[in-house]
Amino acid sequence: MFATVGKDLVLRFPLGPISVALNPVTLGASLGLALLLLAFGLWLRRGIPQDPEAVPARRAVFLLALLDFVENQVLGGVSEKLRRSLLPLIATLFLYVLACNLSSILPIPGMVAPTQDLNVTLGLALLVYLLTHLYGIRAKGAFRHVKGYLEPIPIMLPMNIVGDMGRTLSHGFRLFGNILGGAIMLAVAIPVLLRFVQSPFFTGLLATVLVLLGLVLRRWKKLWGRVALSLGMVLLLLTALELAFSRSGVDMARFGLSALAVGSVASFILNAFFGIFAGTIQALVFTLLAAAYIQVAAE
Amino acid sequence: MGPELVQALKYLAAGLCMGIGAIGPALGEGRIGASALESMARQPEMANTLLRNMIIADAIAETTGIYSLLIAIMILFVV
Repeated sequence: MFATVGKDLVLRFPLGPISVALNPVTLGASLGLALLLLAFGLWLRRGIPQDPEAVPARRAVFLLALLDFVENQVLGGVSEKLRRSLLPLIATLFLYVLACNLSSILPIPGMVAPTQDLNVTLGLALLVYLLTHLYGIRAKGAFRHVKGYLEPIPIMLPMNIVGDMGRTLSHGFRLFGNILGGAIMLAVAIPVLLRFVQSPFFTGLLATVLVLLGLVLRRWKKLWGRVALSLGMVLLLLTALELAFSRSGVDMARFGLSALAVGSVASFILNAFFGIFAGTIQALVFTLLAAAYIQVAAE
Repeated sequence: MGPELVQALKYLAAGLCMGIGAIGPALGEGRIGASALESMARQPEMANTLLRNMIIADAIAETTGIYSLLIAIMILFVV
């Protein structure tokens, strides 16, 4: 039943003539996040006041701000009529992809973001692809929608079909590649950094540079100067402690105190950039492109 | 060819693939960002629309970079 593909554990079982492989981590994480979002949505809905004249509660304001963001920012370029019918779909897609991307920073062992799995992203891209046809047929009728593939001249039919497929493929691959690339950067950068930091010489150098930087920076940028100065001081102290320990014959752990400090700061910064910032931007890009594809098909 | 040479060539190929493949998207995104900023400075009231279109254009320019990332990952871990 269970087999390994690369490093992933998959559940393999025959379904009729084909053999199906499921990744339990991805499946569980994506379904769990969907349920979590559902619960979140129901909780937000309960915050809507019964009588519209009442002062809105915090939850209602949050919901309003969220939908307003999706309606005006993500769906800003879509025509007025289509915007209303696309709003629930695009808002759901945005929230789901955002939750999937942000789940990569959760400190759960073995946790990978569902969007790190090509099956999830390609599935979402296929969903959007099917919806473009649905909206196209609904807006223009089946005949005119299919006729759109013969424009501008009938010879362009193969090119139009290939373009359609390539668009869907790159829609899925883009999200997958960005999230996977961030995860690989996280996995690679911290051990490399720790290997540098292992030597007290390097940490001492880093601490001195930070202290000098802080002293110079304090003139113009008070806050950043103080941050650099205090970080450098802490590092200097840790390096001194480490050296003292190693002088006195106490067996140092493989990663010293300063490595712990530098490693946690670096992993904080890297997680903030690749997990939160890139994850949010990619969720936005995915939904913006989905809205753009549907709009092109429907107009 | 010995297995070490194959491994070394794999690393080289992955590095070249990612490094050369990143040039195009970098230039493209630079141009997109520069023009978008210029237009935003000229017409600040259009900034929201411009930002949205800039992100879409960035995503499309990035596609080839993502493809080369995928190929590099495939060379390293799959092939």
